[in-house]
Amino acid sequence: METKLKGIAKMEQIGLIIAMIIMAILFTALTGNKYIQVDNIINILIASSIVGLVVIGESYLLISGQVDLSPGSVSAFSGVLVSLLLSKGLNMWLAIPIVVVVGMFIGYGNSLMVNKLKFEPFIATLASMSIFRGLAYILCGGKSIFVQNQLFLKLGVGRVFNIPIPVIIFIFLFIVFGVVLARTRFGRNVYMVGGNANAARLAGINAEKLRAKLFIMTSALAALGGCILASRMSSGQPSASEGLEFDAVTAVVLGGIAMSGGVGTMGGALIGLFIMQGFNNGLMILNVQSFWQIVARGLLLIAALSFDYIRNAKRSK
Amino acid sequence: MNSSVEFRNITKLFPGVRALDGISFKAKGGEVVALVGENGAGKSTLLKVLNGDYQADGGQYLIDGEERRFKNPQEAIAAGISIIYQERQIIPYLSVAENIYMEEIPTKGSKLIDFRKLNANAQSIIDEFNLPIKPSAKVKDLSVAYQQMVEIMKAYRRNPKVIAFDEPTASLSDTEIESLFKIIAKLKAKGLIILYVSHRMKEIFQMTDQVVIIKDGQYVTQIPTKETNEREIVKMMVGRNLGDIFSELDRNKKKDGIMLKVENLTNDYVKDVSFELKKGEILGFAGLVGAGRTETMRAIFGADKKTTGRVHLDGREIHIKAPEDAIACGIALCPEDRKEEGIIGGRAIKENISIGILKKLTKRGFVDRNKEINLAESSVKELRIRTPHIEKKIRELSGGNQQKTILARWLAAHPKVLILDEPTKGIDIGSKAEIYQMTCDLAKKGISVILISSELTEVLGLSDRVIVMCEGRITGELSNEEATEEKVLTLAMADMLGGNE
Ligand SMILES: Nc1ncnc2c1ncn2[C@@H]1O[C@H](COP(=O)(O)OP(=O)(O)OP(=O)(O)O)[C@@H](O)[C@H]1O
Ligand SMILES: [Mg+2]
Repeated sequence: METKLKGIAKMEQIGLIIAMIIMAILFTALTGNKYIQVDNIINILIASSIVGLVVIGESYLLISGQVDLSPGSVSAFSGVLVSLLLSKGLNMWLAIPIVVVVGMFIGYGNSLMVNKLKFEPFIATLASMSIFRGLAYILCGGKSIFVQNQLFLKLGVGRVFNIPIPVIIFIFLFIVFGVVLARTRFGRNVYMVGGNANAARLAGINAEKLRAKLFIMTSALAALGGCILASRMSSGQPSASEGLEFDAVTAVVLGGIAMSGGVGTMGGALIGLFIMQGFNNGLMILNVQSFWQIVARGLLLIAALSFDYIRNAKRSK
Repeated sequence: MNSSVEFRNITKLFPGVRALDGISFKAKGGEVVALVGENGAGKSTLLKVLNGDYQADGGQYLIDGEERRFKNPQEAIAAGISIIYQERQIIPYLSVAENIYMEEIPTKGSKLIDFRKLNANAQSIIDEFNLPIKPSAKVKDLSVAYQQMVEIMKAYRRNPKVIAFDEPTASLSDTEIESLFKIIAKLKAKGLIILYVSHRMKEIFQMTDQVVIIKDGQYVTQIPTKETNEREIVKMMVGRNLGDIFSELDRNKKKDGIMLKVENLTNDYVKDVSFELKKGEILGFAGLVGAGRTETMRAIFGADKKTTGRVHLDGREIHIKAPEDAIACGIALCPEDRKEEGIIGGRAIKENISIGILKKLTKRGFVDRNKEINLAESSVKELRIRTPHIEKKIRELSGGNQQKTILARWLAAHPKVLILDEPTKGIDIGSKAEIYQMTCDLAKKGISVILISSELTEVLGLSDRVIVMCEGRITGELSNEEATEEKVLTLAMADMLGGNE
């Protein structure tokens, strides 16, 4: 019985997997076999890894019925901050944790606005999106801060068993957070609060605390992503990660996590992420002009949302 | 005149369920036809087929002898079919008047809403129903009962040919039911066709002309109400004889020590509420809707704030700030409003049952899935929740089965104090008897139960003691022996009649 049900659960993702395969075949044909190549797949994975960290956070948030618009700014701010700390000669093993903790405070700030001031998450995080983008520029006086720390630079470009370190970090965290969401009580509570916050509260779940944890987690992941990005670019750039949150939300929604909350899985989000990054990568190989790539990303978001809409319509039938 | 609705061999399938399996019967204008059957028998589904919300998989329906097939509820409304759903469909942030006139809001010359006209029109309907609510009040600020009334007024306002009520009285108290019945009588006199779904036998005999019995999606029979009796109907519905439910209960006789003591509880809704609850006692709370029973319990449970008041549990003072504190102390509350506060619609039955005690099913943070499945399977069996499997989304269950699932959540919690707010809302008569016995069994284990119900027979029949509230205050207390309907009602209207204070 249970295996049969698991089969049904997987069915929901089968459409996505088929979409991914069709896309891969199309791009392979269009690019004359340059698409499905080990190197290119690793490229896609690298591109996925930083957005991927934010995808983890946004998955949790959307399932719980929230959203965070600040990760792009937090990531840029963190990249600048870590570069600044390193350029002051701070040890990398100290600098990164400091930046991540700062990220956690930013997330906590977001959660206070939502829990105590009763702001809509959209509005609250729109505010911090603006604030931390601004602070990123202020912190570095508008100029990139270059990093000399060799160990730190390894973080972004180094490889272990030929797999880039960012990819390893992403996959590790993805598995951890995926298991937590699917198997633990904490994960279950995320679904319950997203499904009906009022009922969850009366069933003894502290929704405010849960939300706080999720905002903290998302900002911390964005901060970590910012550090990795700074390492890859060997500099902290205040303009980095523009639109990171939109990429992440696109991937998450594409992966079947409804904006209305309460449903979806991390596995779905992962497929959504690969579709999105695979799509970007394909356009890049095809030499589509970068402005058109931005347009295409918007179209993909529309596709993702219509997908969500159709699925919802089916669900409520 | 002579209008009619006829169903012929209606069939409706859902994944794993034959919700309707060849239903045929006819209802004529000027008649109230009762639809009765167990939870999950298919009553609501039949009504949703009639108003185009669901499409039948087989069979047809005729209105005034003419075959119709509505593609959506809008078409059905246009054809004069109005259905008051089991689950409320009103919009909480709009006013009463806006809800009543939903799709026909009057406008002035330009496209601006003519609020004066809107409110005046709504007021005239409210007057017809004789209700103490304002057209401009926000629906979310009304009690569940009045929200229900708004829904009925909305259907009534459309001047329909057929009006179907799906368990309209499930959250109404006796006086409100009276005014509803007056309205129904008026509609009947106008020659409307009235379909009436209810689990309350008393009502069926009070105001219906025909009874149609449905069992497991199949048509059983149609008989004039006059020619049958309660026992016969129950037997055809449930498939066995039910004796006198309350006198056959195996009750807890041993009650010693105080479990819960509430002193001077006060907040925006209730004033100076004090009472004691013994170990193993079932304490009923009676009163009209809006008397403050739900509000008292919510304050104890930490769902609402209290301004003053102390609560002692098992001899120790406890300070509850949120529901989680109450649950940790061993107080559980099964809430009144199933849709808003009970079910987590998009999630599985299994998860909806385990949520209240998930902590106990968790080891090192991980949910023990086998334990969870066992809990859900045994709850489904014990409460006879009608579902093909425990992974089904709770929202896809029939209303009564959703209620059973929420009840299962709290029965599984094994708290010290179990507060049940309208626990049998929408539950069929056979299951009710079983739930009453389960409640008594809990009491025997020393669990103290507080029971709120708008069904007075339930409060009187099940409780060891009854506390009566009126306008936020306790107006009296009656032991099981002395409690009668009249005495309770007198106390329930104490403030309005005596006008003390
Ligand atoms: N949307 C749906 N998806 C799947 N199954 C459904 C859906 N709606 C109803 N069912 C199933 O159809 C059956 C009949 O349900 P229905 O709601 O008509 O029962 P009912 O007679 O109104 O019961 P109650 O007295 O509990 O309200 C049930 O087994 C229910 O699980
Ligand atoms: Mg029903």
